[in-house]
Parts: sequence; C-alpha cells; structure tokens
Amino acid sequence: MGLQSCIGGTTLQTLKLASIPTLSSSRLVSRPVQLKALTLDFFLLSRHGRSRRSPFPLLARALSAPAIAFQTETPPEEKGNAVLKPQWKAAIDFKWIRENKEAVAVNIRNRNSNANLEAVIELYDKMSDLQKEVERLRGERNAVANKMKGKLEPSERQRLIEEGKNLKEGLVTLEEDLLKLTDELQQEAQCIPNMTHPDVPIGGEDCSVIRKKVGSPPQFSFQIKDHLQLGKELDLFDFDAAAEVLSLFNLSGSKFYYLKNEAVMLEMGLINWTLSEVMKKGFIPLTTPEIVRSSVVEKCGFQPRGANTQVYSIEGSDQCLIGTAEIPVGGIHMDSILAESLLPLKYAAFSHCFRTEAGAAGAATRGLYRVHQFSKVEMFVLCKPEESDLYHEELIKIEEDLFSSLGLHYKTLDMASGDLGAPAYRKFDVEAWMPGLERFGEISSASNCTDYQSRRLGIRYRPSEPSSASPKKGKANLAPPRFVHTLNATACAVPRMIVCLLENYQQEDGSVTIPEPLRPFMGGLEIIAPKSR
Amino acid sequence: MSNLQKEVERLRGERNVVANKMKGKLEPSERQRLIEEGKNLKEGLATLEEDLLKLTDELQQEAQGIPNMTHPDVPIGGEDCSVIRKKVGSPPQFGFQIKDHLQLGKELDLFDFDAAAEVSGSKFYYLKNEAVMLEMGLINWTLSEVMKKGFIPLTTPEIVRSSVVEKCGFQPRGANTQVYSIEGSDQCLIGTAEIPVGGIHMDSILAESLLPLKYAAFSHCFRTEAGAAGAATRGLYRVHQFSKVEMFVLCRPEESDLYHEELIKIEEDLFSSLGLHYKTLDMASGDLGAPAYRKFDVEAWMPGLERFGEISSASNCTDYQSRRLGIRYRPSEPSSASPKKGKANLAPPRFVHTLNATACAVPRMIVCLLENYQQEDGSVTIPEPLRPFMGGLEIIAPKSR
Repeated sequence: MGLQSCIGGTTLQTLKLASIPTLSSSRLVSRPVQLKALTLDFFLLSRHGRSRRSPFPLLARALSAPAIAFQTETPPEEKGNAVLKPQWKAAIDFKWIRENKEAVAVNIRNRNSNANLEAVIELYDKMSDLQKEVERLRGERNAVANKMKGKLEPSERQRLIEEGKNLKEGLVTLEEDLLKLTDELQQEAQCIPNMTHPDVPIGGEDCSVIRKKVGSPPQFSFQIKDHLQLGKELDLFDFDAAAEVLSLFNLSGSKFYYLKNEAVMLEMGLINWTLSEVMKKGFIPLTTPEIVRSSVVEKCGFQPRGANTQVYSIEGSDQCLIGTAEIPVGGIHMDSILAESLLPLKYAAFSHCFRTEAGAAGAATRGLYRVHQFSKVEMFVLCKPEESDLYHEELIKIEEDLFSSLGLHYKTLDMASGDLGAPAYRKFDVEAWMPGLERFGEISSASNCTDYQSRRLGIRYRPSEPSSASPKKGKANLAPPRFVHTLNATACAVPRMIVCLLENYQQEDGSVTIPEPLRPFMGGLEIIAPKSR
Repeated sequence: MSNLQKEVERLRGERNVVANKMKGKLEPSERQRLIEEGKNLKEGLATLEEDLLKLTDELQQEAQGIPNMTHPDVPIGGEDCSVIRKKVGSPPQFGFQIKDHLQLGKELDLFDFDAAAEVSGSKFYYLKNEAVMLEMGLINWTLSEVMKKGFIPLTTPEIVRSSVVEKCGFQPRGANTQVYSIEGSDQCLIGTAEIPVGGIHMDSILAESLLPLKYAAFSHCFRTEAGAAGAATRGLYRVHQFSKVEMFVLCRPEESDLYHEELIKIEEDLFSSLGLHYKTLDMASGDLGAPAYRKFDVEAWMPGLERFGEISSASNCTDYQSRRLGIRYRPSEPSSASPKKGKANLAPPRFVHTLNATACAVPRMIVCLLENYQQEDGSVTIPEPLRPFMGGLEIIAPKSR
C-alpha cells in the first residue's frame, strides 16, 4: 500500500503512528478488539448530513469553502479512547489548502508563521488514503456479512467467519490509526494562519501603513506630567497598595491598581458613554462571563497553555480567565446554524479582561499602559462572508468617531502581514498621542477574522432559499449552511483611554478637563481638580 | 509557649553572662570551662528556639480558629433565632399570574444562561439589552448615593494573594472553598471587594485624623458556590460571577457600633428608595461568620420565588481583620503640654475596627426589580431613582418579533 513509507517523517510531532500491519498477517489476532461505535460514525461520510461535502463557489480569499467531513463537537464517547489534543476539531478546508498550496505558503512566510504546510499536506494525503482503505475494508466486511445471510456449507460458513473476523480486526487497527492521524493533522493544520487581504502591506511592523491621521499634538506652555504623576497628585490611583496586596516588588511596577475618586467616575463615564454610542449604531449590549472553558479560548485563536501565555488558568479545572470579551461572545453561537435573517449580529460587550502580560517589561509598561486587569467594551460582529470587508470599514469608522468625539489626536494603521495575529485577515490599529509618554500608544484594534474563528467555533448560517417556487418542503430544498465571518473591534479600553485623557487634558494648575461628551455620564463633572489637604 | 519563652530568655541571660565573663582576664582552664559552658548553652538555646517557633506556629493555627467575640445584643442560637430589627413595605398585590425573573428574562430577552453553560459552565450568564443598562444604572446610582455620604469610590484588583484572603477571615484552600485559585501561583479571585479593600492599609499605622476611612468599592466577584444546589440556586439568585458595590469602613474601636448603625441605615435607605419590601435581621450567634462581632442581613421580598431572599449583609468585624491585616492607628497625643518630642510622647498604636456592608449586589437586585415591578403585559417598570442613570428609560417592554 505504500503507507509504511510515509510513516515516521521527522516533521511529524506527537504520537508516532502504530505500524500498520498487512491484512494477511496472523498477528492481527493478538490485538484486543475494541470496537468503539462512535469512531466509526465519526468518519462515515455518507451518514451525517452535517459532514456532507458540497460544491461551493470558491471564494478568492481565506479558507471559506465548506469543510469536509469533520464534526466540530467533541463526541463524549471519545474520552474513553486515547484522545489526543486538540479535542475539538476546526472545520478546515484541506482540499482548498492543497489546491492553493503556493498562495498558502507565501502567506505563511509573509506572516512569519511557523506553520508546517508540507506536514499538513502530507498528513492530509495519508489520511485520505487511509480513509479510502478503511472504506474498502468496510465494503469487504459488509460483503462478507451479506454472504453469511444466505444458506452455506458449514466449511464455507467457517471460512467466511474467519475472514470476517480478520477484516474486523484489521479495521479496528486502521480506524485507530485514522483517529491518530486526524488529530495530528488537526494539530498541524490549526497552526496555519488566516489568509491575508490583498491590500495589507507585506512585512514587519514598520511596514504598517497609515490610513488616517486626525488632529495634532496639543501644545503645552508649561512642563507637562505623565499620567502616573497626575494620578498621584490628584489621588486617582494606587499602584503601591496593589503591589502589597499582590506582593509584587519588581521595579517595573505591579501592573495591578486601584482606581480612586474621579478616576472611578471616569471609568464608569467612559463605559456608559461608549455603550450608549454603539447602541445607537445597532449593537446589542452584553455583559459576559469572565471565566470560560479553555477550549473556547483556543477556538478563538489564542493559546491558553503555551509558554508566555497571556491567559490565566483556574486551578483544578479546564477554565481560564478571558483576556477579551471577544472570547465569550464568540462562544455564544458555538456549534450553531443561524438563520440568514439574523445577520449581521452586532454585539457590544462590556467585561473585565485579565492578561498575564508574561514577557512584557520595561518603561513602556509603567502605570496604566500595561496592566493585568482592565475594563473594556468590545464590538463583535457575525455576518455573511461577502459583507465582512464592509463591516470592517464600519467598525473602524465607529472607533474613529468615538476617538474624534473625545478630541484625541490619533492615527489609524493598516497592520502589516508580519504583525497580524493568526486569526486576522486584516487588522486596523488606532494609536493615540500620549504626551506624557511622548509617543503614540495603541488604544484600539479592529480585526476581520473572516471564517478563521467560525470554523473553530462551528458557527454557520443557512442562506435563504433562492426561490420558493417548488412546493416540496424539507431539507432537500434548503441551501447548505455556510460559515459566517466574525469581526472584533475595541470600542473602549479604559486604562489606555484614561492615560490619553489625563495626559492630553491636563492644565497648568494640575487639574484635568473632562471632554464634553463624557460629562453627562459623570454627573456633569467638568474638571478633576487637585484636592486641598 | 510563655513558659518556653521564659526559659529561652533565661538561657540567653546565662549565655550573655558567660560571654561577659570571657571578656576579662582568665586562667586558661577557666576559659576552657566557660567556652564549654557557652557551647552547651548555645546548642540548648538553638533547640529551644526551634521548639518555640513550632509552638508559636501551632498556637497561631489554633488561635486563629477562635471566632470574634459577640455583641451582647446578638440573639443566641441557630438561624431561626435571628431577630427582625425592621420591616419595610408589604408584598405587592398582583391582579394577574406573576412570573419569576427567569421567565421574565427569557421573554424580555434579558439574559442567556444556556449559551453561558456551553461557554463557561452552569451558574454563568450573559446579561443582554436592558439588563445591561439595569446593571450599569444600579452601579452608577449606588456609587453616586454613597459618595454623597462621604464614601471614597474605588475599583479594585480582582486577583489577590491568598494570604490576604486568609487575613480577611476566609479559607481559600479548604474543602468546599468559595474561592477560585489561579493555577501556578499563590493568587486567587476575590469573592468580595472587602478583601482587596481590607488589603489597602495592610501593615500600616494610620494617623487618627484619617479615620474614619470610608470606601465604596465596585468590583466583579467570583464564587465557586461549592456545595450549593437546589431550586434556591436557579437563575440569578446564585451565580459564580457578579458585580457588587461594597462599603468598607476603618474606624476607631469606640465608634464601630455607630458606623454599623450608619451602614445599615444607608442600605435601608437605598432599598426603600427602590420601593422594595424587605426586613432587616440581627443575625443569631450561630449564623455569624468568624470575623463578625455583629451582622445585619437584609432580605427582600421576591414574588417569583415566593419568599424573602438576602440582598445585603452588614458586618462589624471589630479588630478581627485588623489584627490579621496589621492595620493600626496612632491616637493623637492627649495634651501637647510637654515640650519633649519623639516616640516617648506618642500614644502607642491601636488596632482599628473594620466594617463591611453590601451597597448593591447586582444580580439579586435584578431579581427583585424584575419580579416586583412586572406588569400584566409582561413589561417591567424601572423605579424612578434609576431612570436618570439609564438614559431616562422608564419601562422594559416586550420586543416585537
């Protein structure tokens, strides 16, 4: 069969495949026969509607053609087997990858990804071959079973029983191998980053292109202070007490903090104003769980348990703390098929976010600029594939309008290919001028993840039927489900906004003016003044 | 331990005597004898000091198990002995079949427990639409009200060191603990802002002029609710994560009873403003947590649950927490007659008293508001005080589909 020559390539990680014995070997008898019914169902293409391969117009970008054969939920019975990570399966379009190998390879290079395309294709081919072999054997086993139904000579029956038994054992082995191969394939394939929008600049972060620049740095006629000093003098935050409460004495700062007095009102004002503004644009307000299962974190494209992970894990469970509301919101419609009429679904989620910031150190991380815990309002959109570019533009416009309303000086960047996260097809970052830091600092990020997340989260929609001419009802007349596209964008990351507002609106007497739009949400407060002691 | 300590001190005294003798001029044999004696004393001391350390740790462990003393007016007995201090309002009369908050929430598209069960597990939820505005409104209104009473608004870390949790009187790592721990560290998630706020002035001596220190802290709270099950835990009544505004007071010992009364009055005023029907209980001795000298719970009428449910708790912890957190204050000098300055003239520091009280536990408040203010057409009226904090919203109406 040639399978044995493919096994054991050095590019294959994790489990080595058990050697596949030839069917005629009598050694087969010694393997314990463990037929787990579910493993058969898992791969049977013909029985489950959800896993049907269907002809679909190939869209030029992304892995947007439908999946082959993989259910996205973890069958609970698999736990009894030697289940490998990942336990859930992304609905990756391997056929499309194979057919667009060069483009995928170029994309991987442009993004500095360490995905191993060769391994993926090799594993996929092996898996396809193995699958065919499994099907062939099943066919033979069925043929034998059918023969046994008729009238037979005892010797003939005996021979068939033997044959049937051999086939069955051979099948079990092959099916186990198929399972392992599939898991390996998944693990490699999930590393492949999303494709990239043709307009994205190719290169490292210095290649990012400025799309828009608004305002100009404020001119101060006095010596300005940074937000830490302003905060201290106005009694707005306490990093030292937090350091004690968390017993962190490193010089780069504790990264935990208490907000006090007007800073609390500023946080509440920012959140309330932001929610109110995006609700006017049709976004459904949400608050979300901040503890989620680690599988959901992975499905959104994050690595909860890697080295230098950004993710806090809960002891004694498979749960983690969220680093962004993108995760629990992405999970709302996991493993679902939405009606087309529901799209686009636009959520604005308020949550606290927790990040370990492992590996981040230095002056750029002082004060509120980089912290372990913060409040954020996040926009999340689920839409039809052909509309995601449109909603990406809408999201960045909403962000820009918010920041312009607050009078900030900022620039919007089209992030270069080397600076996109694996899920993002295209990413716009907004950097605002922070006079105290004497540079621009990121205050928001808007990503179009096309179907990268939806293939992992299992979120699809059912296109409405093209015509209702045919009187025949039932599934045969429904268009097959397609993966939605997902987008996420920061409406307001509170600490960074506080840095901006304090540093830009400071006055010579040490007070800070509140921008007009926020005042109604802060009980009319117009100015944060130094307190007399 | 006291005996051992005396013994240790005695030996140290002897060792010092020996050391002093060695300073003078001595016969070699005498010197040798003293060296021997010094060595024996040193070894003996080392052993005794180790024993003293172990004994001290054992003593601490046992002693920390002793609960706070109890206010003389506290009823003695189990939870059925708690006494009603105050009862306000009466159950609303409905001319129609009423619904519980879960059903109201479903019909008004206000929460999603099912999606949260998939994403996170049971007892998690998403708030949606007007429920989000209700949460924000409740928090903003509560903060605004208690700020008028002189409370300093705060937001706090929600991840803290487990030692701080213990010093506040909680058990992070017991069986059936309420506390979530972070993997690979000594950190935990807070179950209440009482913990990070208690920690602000850990190991400090405050000037008397700073007292009383009154904080109103807004935070998310996380509780495992291990061991809690049954119908009483459906919906928003018992959840793993919720928003809360917590009042925390540090004061001089002679004033803590006074501030306890002030705190419960603030709570009662808040709940009366919202038009709730509730009763305030003086909790019985068997129902106080270890830190509490006295505890007042407020239970509000929840028509959908057909019973009263706890919406707040106000505890006077006297010096139980401050002795563990190391929070003291320096009383001002009784008179400035003596010209001599320096520590000799300062009164010795004393432990502060700490108190904590729930100003607003959002999910329980949402249960109350939805169930009490439901209308026959399935809508819910917003109480007047909250409306300005909800963009003027007066009513949560069913959405046309």
